[in-house]
Order: sequence, then structure tokens, then C-alpha cells
Amino acid sequence: MKDQISALIDDEISLHEAEYLYTALKAEGESRECWMTYHLIGDAMRGSPTFKKDLRHRIMQQIDAEPVVLAPKNARPAVEQAATKPSALWSVAASMAAVMFVGMIVLQQQPQQAEDILPMEIAQNLPAEYLQAHQSVVPSSAAYYIQSAAYTERAK
Amino acid sequence: MIRRWFLACLMASHFSLAFADGEAQQDPWMLLDKAAHAARDLSYKGIFMYQSGTNSRSIEITHMNAGQGEYSRIVMLDGLPQELLSQGSDIVIFSPRHEKIVIEKRRGKNLFPALLPVNLEQVKASYKAKITGQERVAGREGFIVLLEPRDDYRYGYRLLTDKEYGLLLKATTLSQQSEVIEQIAFNQLNLLNMSDMEWFKPQVDPGKPYVMEEEVPDGLAENSQGWNLEQLPPGYKQIDHIKRMVPGKKTAVNQLIFSDGLSSVSLFIEPLVKGARPKVGQTTVGPTNFYANVNNGHQIVVVGEVPQATVAQIANSVHFKQ
Repeated sequence: MKDQISALIDDEISLHEAEYLYTALKAEGESRECWMTYHLIGDAMRGSPTFKKDLRHRIMQQIDAEPVVLAPKNARPAVEQAATKPSALWSVAASMAAVMFVGMIVLQQQPQQAEDILPMEIAQNLPAEYLQAHQSVVPSSAAYYIQSAAYTERAK
Repeated sequence: MIRRWFLACLMASHFSLAFADGEAQQDPWMLLDKAAHAARDLSYKGIFMYQSGTNSRSIEITHMNAGQGEYSRIVMLDGLPQELLSQGSDIVIFSPRHEKIVIEKRRGKNLFPALLPVNLEQVKASYKAKITGQERVAGREGFIVLLEPRDDYRYGYRLLTDKEYGLLLKATTLSQQSEVIEQIAFNQLNLLNMSDMEWFKPQVDPGKPYVMEEEVPDGLAENSQGWNLEQLPPGYKQIDHIKRMVPGKKTAVNQLIFSDGLSSVSLFIEPLVKGARPKVGQTTVGPTNFYANVNNGHQIVVVGEVPQATVAQIANSVHFKQ
């Protein structure tokens, strides 16, 4: 079955001959997956325009074209409420909140700023992603053969 | 009479050819030129072993060139069943990762045994070559050609080329102290006489989903002409510049690739993200040297199977335009 699907994709057998394959594909989930896989591999090896660089760009353009709701719905009533009830208590609470908020920001930023000042020795934390990137594209690098995986993989 | 004269001519031309052949074997560059062409022009199948320190891996290669261009399939026999199929300079890599198979597309690699470039001029500028002896590998007799670096910016290579077919049988990278850094050698090699393409396909695992690798989204790649490269190590030229995504980073990283024809180095340049700890210093892992520094708000990392001096000088050749 797999060989027949492969042959069909490679135009080695005609659609007419493979009519029964379609019937089988509809019936069997696994074969349909197989069909998709072979198509993807075939596309990758033939340089199909489906996977051209601008595919993502085209999808993003479609998303951009969707109407966007600009104003958050809750924001305005809250502001109006505050404006219609002016009181000393409110302003104290607000300034307390502001102080706390600023304090939190300072606390959160401090360790990061300390790290900015103290760089890390490369030997302590080897940048494996750079090594893999190097080995996967560089010509004549024999070390290509021991690379564990390409590095564009994101954490699952 | 005419026939005898013709025969004499034929014999004379035969002798001169044989003589030229004998002479060719005295010139190491002719052997290397033959090796570079043989790896691309011949059809062969074999298994070779890559070794570096305690790391080793067996790899199967099938290469065909029946006058219609180059096709090859490379399969990792140890570890993850990674596969690489190439047609000319287009390469498709199938790598099992987690529960899926990632398909990556690459261009032009000089992978063993096609380690040597077809044009050897750049190699000649940086290395001296001499024939130092003979050796037998994978049942084949070969000539040993030693490539000695002309300076301290590259390692040496000991190459074994097949006496009969010219194909590279073994390549050893040697440090300045003549220690073996890495080695790649055929265990088994057969020349093929075939033209069918039945073998030119990956082995598909129907139980796993196949996905294309992540691409660099348009607009995320930083514009890269904010720097100049001054005083690169002698002999090294920039051969490529690509932009790639790195795990955990939101911007694409610039990767510039340099080569002296044999040794290769990658230079990575990326803007330092606020809160990220910059990397500095140098280290060596197996055959690879690393050098990192911070320059004008950018993280610079250089990686290569070259001496420490080379990665350091490439990193320090980056000058940002003010």
C-alpha cells in the first residue's frame, strides 16, 4: 500500500490505475496519514512552492486583514466610575497602589540588572544551539555527523 | 605499412599517457584534484566511521552520478536514524525529534568523501601538500597526502586517496601538536554501476508525523548591515550569511560562515536582549573551539573546528558602524 501511494505521488502510476487507492484512503485513517506524509516529503524534495518562504507571511496577512476590536470593553466604565466618585480615600488608595506597583517593578528588575552587569563564562554554560547551528550548515564539517538534532526545534 | 605506422602511433600515445599518469601520482595537488572530482563524478556505496574523542558514529552513503547530476543518500546507522538526501546542492534532512520527524532543507555541503572543493586554489593558498606514503583502508590501496597549514590559523589534514579511482578513503584532522582531532574513514566501499533511482527515497516511519522546520518569519530578521568585518584571519573568506531562529529567542540570529576551503567557522551576531545574561570567554569541546564576547550591545559567538586563535580573531574582526 505504502509503495503504491508513493508511486502515485511520484507520477509512476496514473490516477486511473490508482482509483482503488482513493477508496482505500477514505476507509483507512492510517493510509490517509501516510498519503499526507508522502506528499510533504515529495514537496520538500521537489521544492514545492507550498513551502516557499512567504507562506507564513501570507497567513499573517490574512490574519491582519481580519477586523480588530481596538478598545478594551472594560476600560472606559472603570475610568468613568473613578471620575464620578472623587474622594480622599480613593486617592490615598491609588497612591499606595502606585507605590506598591513601582516597588514591584524595581524588585523584579533588580536581579536582571545584576545579571546584565555580570556576564557568564561561555565554558560554564555551553551554547549547544550555536554548535548545532554551526554543524548543520557549515560545509566540510565532519562533525556534522555527530550533531544530535538541528537547533531550530522549539521546546515542546 | 600504414597499419604498422598506425600501431606505432597508438603505442606511443599509450606510453605517453602511462608516463603522464605516473608523473601525476608524484604531484599531491593532482591527487587531491582527482579526489575532489571522483567524490562527485563516481557512483559508489559504502559505510564510513566518524570519530572524535569518545564520539563515533557509522554512516552509510549511496552516491550516484550517471551523467544526470549528483544524487546521494546518507543514513546514520548509530543513534537516531537521521537521513540526508541530496540532489546537486539541494539537501533534505529527515531528523527524528521527540515524537515527530522534522524535515529541513539546506544547500551545498562538502560532505565526506566530497570534503575537498573542486577548485583547490583557496586550499593551495593556506596549505602545503606532500605525499608521505601509502595505506590500505576498506580493502583499498591509497596514497597519503599531508596538508600542512601555512600558519597557525588552521589545523592540518592527512588525506588518503584511492590509488585506482582517486576517491577520498580517509581524512584525519591534526592539531598543531599532530594530535588527532577528528577522523573519518571508509570501512567498506564499492563502486556502483547503476542508473535506477529506486534507492533515492527516505525510509518513512508511518507512525510519526512529518513537519517542516520552523522558518524565519518575515520582518523578524534584524537588518544586518550594521557592522564591518576588519582583519579576518588570513585565507578565510565569508561564504554564506543566513538568518535563523534559535529556541527561546524572539529575534532571528545572523550566522556568517567563513571557510579557507577546508576549515569552516560560524560567526553569530545578535542584539543582546535586556535581562539575558551575556556570554563571554572561550572554551574547547571535542574538535570545536568557542569564543564569545559582547560588542556594542550585541552578543558575538564564534564556533569552529579551527584553532582558538582563529575563532578569537574572527570575533574581534567585528566592528559596528557608529
